[in-house]
Amino acid sequence: MNARRLIQLALLVAVLIYPFLTLESPVYQRLGALVLLAAIGASAWNIVGGYAGQVSVGHAVFFGIGAYSAVVAFVHADLPPIVGAPLGMLLSVGVAAVIGVPTLRLSGHYFSMATIAVGELVRVLSSTSDWLGGAQGLGGPAMPRTVFDLSFMSAMPYYYIFLAVLAFLLGMTWWIERGRMGFYLRAIKDSERAARSLGVSAGRYKLYAYMLSAAFTSLAGSLYLCMFGFIDPESGFGILLSVKMVVMAALGGAGQLFGPLVGALILVPVEELSNSLLGGEGAGITFVVYGAIIVIIARFLPAGLLSLFERRPTAEKPAVSTANPASGHAD
Amino acid sequence: MVKIVHGAIRAGAALVALAIALPAFAQETVKIGAVYPLSGNSASTGNYAKMAFEMGADIINNGNPELAKIFPLAKGGGLPGLKGAKIQMVIADNQGTPAAGQNQTLRLITEEKVAALICCYQSGITLTASAVAERYGVPFLNAESVAANLTERGFKWFFRTTPVAADFAKAYSTFLKEQQAAGRKVDSIALVHENTEYGNSVSSVISDAFKKDGLNITMNVAYSANSTDVQPQVLQLKEKNPDVVIFVSYTSDAILYAKTMKEVNWKPAILIADDGGFNDPAFTKAMGSVTEGLISRSVFAPGKPGSVPAILDALYKKKTGGDGLDDVSARVLQGFFVVADAINRAGSTDPAKIRDALKATDLKPDQLVAGYDGVKFDDKGQNVLASTLVTQLRNSQYVSVWPKARATDPLVLPYKGW
Repeated sequence: MNARRLIQLALLVAVLIYPFLTLESPVYQRLGALVLLAAIGASAWNIVGGYAGQVSVGHAVFFGIGAYSAVVAFVHADLPPIVGAPLGMLLSVGVAAVIGVPTLRLSGHYFSMATIAVGELVRVLSSTSDWLGGAQGLGGPAMPRTVFDLSFMSAMPYYYIFLAVLAFLLGMTWWIERGRMGFYLRAIKDSERAARSLGVSAGRYKLYAYMLSAAFTSLAGSLYLCMFGFIDPESGFGILLSVKMVVMAALGGAGQLFGPLVGALILVPVEELSNSLLGGEGAGITFVVYGAIIVIIARFLPAGLLSLFERRPTAEKPAVSTANPASGHAD
Repeated sequence: MVKIVHGAIRAGAALVALAIALPAFAQETVKIGAVYPLSGNSASTGNYAKMAFEMGADIINNGNPELAKIFPLAKGGGLPGLKGAKIQMVIADNQGTPAAGQNQTLRLITEEKVAALICCYQSGITLTASAVAERYGVPFLNAESVAANLTERGFKWFFRTTPVAADFAKAYSTFLKEQQAAGRKVDSIALVHENTEYGNSVSSVISDAFKKDGLNITMNVAYSANSTDVQPQVLQLKEKNPDVVIFVSYTSDAILYAKTMKEVNWKPAILIADDGGFNDPAFTKAMGSVTEGLISRSVFAPGKPGSVPAILDALYKKKTGGDGLDDVSARVLQGFFVVADAINRAGSTDPAKIRDALKATDLKPDQLVAGYDGVKFDDKGQNVLASTLVTQLRNSQYVSVWPKARATDPLVLPYKGW
């Protein structure tokens, strides 16, 4: 049991009991749930954008599909919104296949541009569909009918639901990362041509990653709908959503297991608190902060915040291995 | 020694007495929350709303001698019903997103402990934010969202002062019936609307209302607001030559219609344009000279000098540095005064008492800044006296011409045009 383990254990306990620590403040309790929800979206993006290096800037398509599937289950079939979640995931996987087959052939920023185009197209189409509520959007249950509507006054149930989903997603990502597919994806990210020459079926694995990523982004959308109870084209398919997923993952460290979570832990509170403290002045300062963060990461930390903690151990490895590991990490 | 102890006790007792007495003398404040779009697409509207709130609070807290003669809450010194408690507006930014709207509403309720909320401009945000207020049991007043379903959710804490599409349709229908009674021909009516959500929904509400009132819509023309040529539609109108034409349009298409009608040299006897593009300053600047006598709607018209709206309009111009109250800011300011009036009558910041006071609201037209017939809520929280003024374009400026009680200028028909 060294210091690193202790810190990890303490963090885990803090994450588990956070809602009880913030019982007095519904705003901070809710903030915890919002961080986790954003982390689910960004972690899902991370599978294809981080590990496989295919920077999608149109992931809001899947988020929106998830959110709309949930609300449609309520509005058109009178079911609890969450029933729409698995349908949304299936639909997202299908849509990902349709989008992915042609666009994943594009490399680098051409792929990003194609995903932006698809995202904007879907947003415009959704706003002309009466069935989807047009530009006005659709609302979920006004007041919960049963507990299955997942509509709660307290943020605590959302917190634990999101935590469970995030844990599952990260567990799966960890499993992929260590398996054959993880190596393939990283090989594709480093050099697709080299990976292909070694016999990696790059197109297929990129598509798998894209579809898996779409499924979980869609789930995040369904969970969003349950919590907020309303969706319109801008909040479901808006480009800002896609950009936020990219920025969160990049801030923490794209292609790293906990990168998106770290990014969400910083960006979501920054967004919420800056809006609470400064929003009333009408300056729109939140977006200035966002822009500044993007510029700073791009300039100084292209590999994300987690790279700060990694660089040192690799550089000092010989020294650390001979010294007592506990003291080596304590300073 | 004993003396010192006695002195200390006496001093302590005096301090305690003072401490108990202080709250009674202290100026209490009543917090009212407002969650508006201060950034994002509608930031301009939100910032005008913010100025309306600040002005409203200032009038109640510090008074305005001119207004005080006709408006009881303008005497200054806060809310008389709460021993002169001052109003403090807590304004938050909904960023134009339902998520931020809901988060900020929660913050205003739980952290700022606002006594009531006024929110949120966009219908979708009003929907999500009011769900939070409903659960926490905080009175929630909406002043300008027109989505019909907002009052159909069985909420107990939700109130809405603004007229909705059906009220606008009703106003047109009543207005036309009056013209008919006065001997004008309104036998054939053409409805021309752009073909997205806005145009389709407004025109279908107008159709329904007219059918119920026995007015004949003989033509229904849908067009795309992006079209660069509306000559086919105008020629179609010219051929059928209806007595009344009603437009539901955005700005650029409104300008195109005005131009084309002049080119084709055709005009109906009564031309009505439903707010939207025809009320845009860009339209009145470009086309005002060739659309003299165009009829539109607005909940705000400055009215006669010395009336409540006229005085508030002048104050607002001072506050904004030139821009007067308009259709939206007047509705926002009206919402604020309704909430302030209810808190004053409740005589308490207890949410249940404020809600009961809101339910008992009964404001008369001469007490309003917006051109409603009054403010009185039904069981669903909708203001049943919400209505609109009918305005007419006179020298590139809209003046109110109907209903007669609040008209500043006489109605001039037939439509003059160019």
